[in-house]
Formats: sequence, structure tokens, C-alpha cells
Amino acid sequence: MDVLQHLLAGFGVALTPTNLAIAAIGALIGTVVGLLPGLGPINGVAILMPLAFAMKLPPEASLILLAAVYIGCEYGGRISSILLNVPGDAGAIMTALDGYPMARQGLGGVALSISAWSSFVGSLIATIGIVLFAPLLASWALSFGPAEYFALMCFAFACITGLMGDAPMKACIAAVIGLSLSCVGLDSNSGVYRFTGGDVHLSDGIQFVVVVIGVFSISEILLMLEQHHSSDGMITQTGRKLFNLREMAHTWWGTVRSSVVGFIVGVLPGAGATIASAITYSMEKRLTDTEGTFGKGDIRGVAAPEAANNSAATGSFVPMLTLGVPGSGTTAVMVGALALYNITPGPALFTQQPTLVWGLIASLFVANVILLFINIPMVGLFTKMLRVPNWILVPGILAVSAVGVYAVHATTFDLLLMTGLGVAGWLLRKQGVPMAPLILGFVLGDMMEQNLRRALSITNGDASILVESPISIGLWLGAFAMVAVPPLLRLLQRHRLTPPVAA
Amino acid sequence: MSDRILGAACVVASAGMAWSAQGYAAAISYEPVGPRAFPLLLAGLLAIGGLWLIARPALRGVSPYRSVPLRATLLAAGAVAVYAALFEALGFTLATAVMAVPLGLVFGGTLKQALAAGAGLGVALYFLFDKALDVVLPTGVLSFLLGGR
Repeated sequence: MDVLQHLLAGFGVALTPTNLAIAAIGALIGTVVGLLPGLGPINGVAILMPLAFAMKLPPEASLILLAAVYIGCEYGGRISSILLNVPGDAGAIMTALDGYPMARQGLGGVALSISAWSSFVGSLIATIGIVLFAPLLASWALSFGPAEYFALMCFAFACITGLMGDAPMKACIAAVIGLSLSCVGLDSNSGVYRFTGGDVHLSDGIQFVVVVIGVFSISEILLMLEQHHSSDGMITQTGRKLFNLREMAHTWWGTVRSSVVGFIVGVLPGAGATIASAITYSMEKRLTDTEGTFGKGDIRGVAAPEAANNSAATGSFVPMLTLGVPGSGTTAVMVGALALYNITPGPALFTQQPTLVWGLIASLFVANVILLFINIPMVGLFTKMLRVPNWILVPGILAVSAVGVYAVHATTFDLLLMTGLGVAGWLLRKQGVPMAPLILGFVLGDMMEQNLRRALSITNGDASILVESPISIGLWLGAFAMVAVPPLLRLLQRHRLTPPVAA
Repeated sequence: MSDRILGAACVVASAGMAWSAQGYAAAISYEPVGPRAFPLLLAGLLAIGGLWLIARPALRGVSPYRSVPLRATLLAAGAVAVYAALFEALGFTLATAVMAVPLGLVFGGTLKQALAAGAGLGVALYFLFDKALDVVLPTGVLSFLLGGR
């Protein structure tokens, strides 16, 4: 078996003492970042990415670190959901619905441990999913030409804007702003400087790190001023520490179902942990809630969304690794991390950099085991993190963010640009413009333009090549459906809900 | 109403983009699509998006800025800007100590707490990153103490 051989080699990479230690550190940092309200996986990964590069970690080690942080965040988010009723990250919103009532009934320890367990199952199933499907998808994607790639990227944008729910047009605008920012700098094909304003600092483009830290980290600091979370309402009496076998059996099938659904949702570009946990929560409610206990502290309502958000987060590695097109904001940041090392993810990555890819996949297994072990017995330690006051936390976040930005080019210009982008990002976020499409646009901008130009070079400018092959036609149709179907569904629903007026 | 301002800003930005992209032409062209097409395409899309926001009827409801604590936000943004400007000149440790005072105050600390947090963070993070993790940081005016640049 080819795949098993690769996987074994991957474990060889992931189990070296250094990488094992890196995965453990990443898991710890991730859990802490995840449980702090306001800081989510994107912030954690964005802040750590330049630091890992500056510490001169090899690419596979820094990818292992970032992946452990990402998965760790999905674990950590549940802690504040359950104990504080404040989701630590967006994926853990649904967990609070049943987790907090459970904690109030004195079952906090059970809720925390069962959610750690279901997070583990979710990540595990999704990682197995990656092993099974990613190589297939990658070898299929090898046949993609520039026209197919261009269509694929349009499909990714359609997904991320179509699934953004209430504001598809604003998501579109965000994507276009991201794409435009990526145009800044030297155009390598023609030697023309674009949008630099003659400034030498912009001649090789805006640094990815500056954009990500600006629009996520700095704008988050400004947004945090509006929300005052105190740890006063925290439930400290958590009772029994571990779930028992009956509770495990009670939640088992819901956990497995939610993991599978979460993985599928995670693989789709645009949908992510947040959508996956919402879908599975309502799915489990419909399927199993016969006594109407969901929302009042039902243990199944804790297990299902936690399994789903972890498996979706893990599943979102699939499009990033196999197609080079990230499906979520966080994996988009990871593509940016790889770009720091001059590695372009895509189908060829599986053949050209097998140690990197399989080392990462194996380390997902490893990090997941580490996370399970630190999240059940050490949960008390993490809850102490919720008591760190904001007047230490926020200056600390800013300082570490600035270190990351400064580490890449060591210029004051980048720091000032970070501030400007941060304030602009804050204004856009206040205005309801989502930032994930912006990052996706910034990451994909260069690739998208290059593929468009290459495709049109083949036919000497005839745009019909973009819709020539069946694959690209399929992708265009998919993109169209992603944009057109959600509003149509909403319209139909509204029709059904409004009682027919007597004619 | 504020959506319309955003829309107008998009239209203005797209006009600026289109205007500066006009001149982007390759000296010698060996491909049908030059450096100008993609930015122009984006400017067009941005203009459409902006016009959509302007044309759509304004949503009634609470302004998203209602809940913004204006003074605290300005102070925090100012602290970030000053921090960025002085990061290299003052050096990491001192700049962090200075930045943490206004930022600590707007996030609910007392003056004493904010001063202590800033000094502690400045020194601790400097040693963590520069000395332990090999991420080089500017020492600025404290270079006589900490060595380096």
C-alpha cells in the first residue's frame, strides 16, 4: 500500500523529538488561544506564523506547529462555552447551548470531558478522511490546467461568499479588496510596478503577515473594547471529572454522524467549523431529541457540535493540501506561511514534498492524542487562563503581533502599514464586511491572475478556453449554484412561512 | 446609511484603481493579457459592489457604531500607531512599556497595573524572543544595556 508507506514515513517525521515537542507546544498554545473569547484560530495561526519563520523552524515543523494550534483552538473554544456561556471561538457557539446548562447543573466536568472526547473522535475521523481522500483528489487535480485552476478559484470564492449568509455582496467586496491588495508591487511578467505610489517599501508587494495581523489581530483589539467579558460568572464547581461508559454510549452515534458531516462540510471551501457545528446540532436535535431536552443540558447537544467543529477544521486541510486553494481563513493563513518558505501548495505537493505533506497528516494524529490528554486532566489549569486580566492580555497580544510583523522585514514601514490595515479592517468589520474572503483573495490573487493570463496566452486571448473542458464547466456551474441557490432557498422559505393571502 | 458611505468609498477606490491602472503597460509584450487587465477587472467588480450598496435601500436599525466607546477606541488606535512608529527607535522593551500604559488603562487596569504590565511584558518578551527564540528585536535607546543594535 502506497498510502500506508507514506503515512509511516510521515510518522517518522512527526515523531522526532523536536517535532513532537513542537506539536505539544502548539497544542497548548492553541487550547489557550481557543478558550480566550475574542481570539480564534485565525488570530493564533496568524500571530505564530511569522514567529515560526523567524525562529528558522523548517517548513514541516512550522506547519506542524500551526496545525496543532488550529486543532487546539477547536478544543479550547469549548471550555469558555461550557463554563462561562461565552464561546471562546466561533466554532464553539453551539456548544454553549447545552454545555452551560450542564455546567449549571453541576455536570461541568462531564461536559468538558465528553466534549474533549468527541473533539478527539471528530478530529480522528477527519484525519482518516484526509488519508483516504486527499491523495485521490490530488492525483485527479494534477490534470488541471490554468483554465481549470481559474475556474476552481472562482468556485472557492463563490462558496465563501455564498455561504456567508446575510451579506454575500459584502463578502464579494471583501474578496475583491483582498485580490486588489495582492496586485500591489512588481508584476513579474512585465516588470511593471503596480499601485506602489513610487514607494520602495511596496515594490515587492505587501507582506502577507502585515495584512493578516492588521486585519485580524489589530482590528480584534479595537473590537474587544466593546465586549466586556469578566470571569465573574464562571462556574467553578464542575463536579465529576470524567464521563462514564453509559454517557459515552449515549453520545457515540451522534458523535460519529456529526464527525462525518463535519468533515464533508469542512472539505467544501468556504464552509467551516462554525457552519458545521450549527448544521450538526440541528441535525442531532431533529434525529434524537424526542423529549425536548436539547438546549436544557443534553449531553448529546454538547458532543455533536464539538465533534463537528473539530472534524471540519481538520477537513479544511484537504482543499489546501490537494488543490492549493484554501477553503477557510485559517488554512489561507497557512498557505501564506508556506509562501514564506517559497512552497506553493497544490496537487504536486504530494509528489514533490511527501515528507512535508505526510509529516503534517501524521502530526494531526499525534497532536490530537496530545490534545485529548492535556484537555481532560489539565482543564483546571486552562480555566485559570480565563482569569488573566485584559490589561495584561491585550498589550501582550499587540506586542507579540508586532514582533511577528517586525520579524519578517525589520522595517517600521511594515508596522505602520499594519496599523493602517488594522484600523481599515476594524471599520470594515464594523460595517459587516467579513475578513475571511479578504484573506482568501489576498492569498489567491497572484495565482488567480497568473492562471488567467496563462490560460489566455494558450489561446492567444480567446476567453472561450475558460469554459472548454468538462471540469471547468462543472466548476463554473458549481460556482453559479453556490451563489444562486442560497438566496433562492431563502426566498422559498419566506414564501412558505408567510401565510397565503386569500385571493 | 453607513452602508452607503461604504459603497461610495468602494466606488471612489475603484475609480482611483482604474485611473492608476490605465498606465500599466508592458514595454515589450509577449502575452495577450498584460499587467493592466486584472486590476481593471477588479476595479470594475469593486465599482459594481459599491454601486449595489449605494442603490440598495438603507437598512433601518441600530447603527453598528452606537456601541463603540469612541474615546477608548481612539486611544487604543493611537497607542497602536505610536507603538508602530517608535518600535524601532525606542527599542522593543521601552516601546512596549510605553504602549501598555494607555492600552492597559482602556482595558480596565489602573495606572499602576498598566505600568507594571508594560514593564514586565517589555522585559519578559524581549528575553523570550530575542535571547531564547532567536527572533532579533531592536534594542533602541536601551542598546547600552541590552547590547545589539
